[in-house]
Amino acid sequence: MRGHRVFVTGLGFVSPHGEDPSALFESICLGDSAIRLVRSGTPEVGADVLLAAIDFEPGDRINKADRVFMARAAQMAVVATRNALEDAGLMTEGRGPEEAGVFMGCGLGGAEILQQSYSTYFERHSRRVRPTTVPLIMASGPASQVAMCFGIRGPAHTYSVACASSSVAIGEAFRSIRDGYTDVAIAGGAEAMLNDGSIAAWQAVGVIAKVHADGAEASCRPFDSDRTGLVLGEGATTLMLESEERATERGVEPIAEIVGFGASSDAHKLTEPSVDGQERAIRNALEDAGLPADAVGYINAHATGTPAGDPVEIEAVKRAFGAAAQDIAISSTKSMHGHLVGASGALECAITALALHERRLPPTANLTSPDPACDLDCVPGVGRDAPDLEVALSNSFAFGGSNATLVLRRA
Amino acid sequence: MSPYAFLAEVLSEKYDVAREAISPEATLTELGLDSLTVVELLFDVEDEFGIEVPEERATFQTLAEAAALVDELVAAKGT
Repeated sequence: MRGHRVFVTGLGFVSPHGEDPSALFESICLGDSAIRLVRSGTPEVGADVLLAAIDFEPGDRINKADRVFMARAAQMAVVATRNALEDAGLMTEGRGPEEAGVFMGCGLGGAEILQQSYSTYFERHSRRVRPTTVPLIMASGPASQVAMCFGIRGPAHTYSVACASSSVAIGEAFRSIRDGYTDVAIAGGAEAMLNDGSIAAWQAVGVIAKVHADGAEASCRPFDSDRTGLVLGEGATTLMLESEERATERGVEPIAEIVGFGASSDAHKLTEPSVDGQERAIRNALEDAGLPADAVGYINAHATGTPAGDPVEIEAVKRAFGAAAQDIAISSTKSMHGHLVGASGALECAITALALHERRLPPTANLTSPDPACDLDCVPGVGRDAPDLEVALSNSFAFGGSNATLVLRRA
Repeated sequence: MSPYAFLAEVLSEKYDVAREAISPEATLTELGLDSLTVVELLFDVEDEFGIEVPEERATFQTLAEAAALVDELVAAKGT
């Protein structure tokens, strides 16, 4: 074991399944989907779209005056971080640990603000765009606002790696603590790109799910023969990470331990995934953790529910784990919370931490007719107990061919 | 709503300025607004009254001066 051990000591959510960790994990294990068919956009060009959206209201948890300078993603990041600091017992008079580092993932930043500024330009034919536009659009807004709101004075860094953003952020926070650069980190991700301009762009990629005959909530179907694509979600998740020494000194009971991080690039195609790249990320992560393949009991898959993507991940897992793959449970919780893009890795890593803590495997919802190409134990329908679960992975594989795998162990 | 009443309302509701601190003689600096916030406030006023405040006219200090400028620009728009 190199360097310091790294523990997860708090979790904070703003998710399609709410903010309460226990209620969220319970809903996920029951296979409850938060996906709905909602009307999006303007009367002229709007559409009914499948989304895992959040009825988000920060209330008095963010000062009114501060809110003016925060895009939706940043507001969600601040509330999720508040929840995580409180969960970890690290909030003192509204402030977090001053010496902490902030490591946040975000794909698009203030997407809705960008849309508003273009509306002003193209619809009102005006160059007079609001002065807050630039600082609200930037993808680093969530990290900066977290630092400002809670008085965090260590580095505040943003990782924009498309769908792998917040897994990379957590991985880098893990390394920062393990290597002794800091002993406490706020790590996670935020994404709020459910404005109709962004949704239209996603639809153009051709990866969005169609409404399933069983209902809107059953439309995201990773590993299933009937899968038609992904469903966009939004939200933020923050993990409080602390060195073993710091957690022990504070006398806190960790939720889980992070023991490895692996990353790789496909060097292949912009949107077409590669078995080779994903396999190398998984192998790198296991090597980093110093664990053999047969130590792993569960994988929270990247699997978004696209016809092309899911079998590639299954093949990568088979190659990385060899015969041991047959004994690993692998599920995609995106079937229920959708794809939060830059926030997905953090939400799924947090769910993985809860799975280890509760020794209970989250399911792949809507998996009723498994694709023969996805022939591993994909935990269909509802979750199940896993009394021997010790080690789990969380995969995030991004457009652009950036792959990230986190390894967690039961604490 | 008069320009002054609108300014007082927005300062209180959107920028969280204490009601008792708001008076015609109060300057925006005294009320704790930084330069970015002042420009943002100007956009709120422009949207509300359908005017554009020319950059060279944005020299007001107090709320009364800001309100007077808005009155003048609204009147000019009407002619």
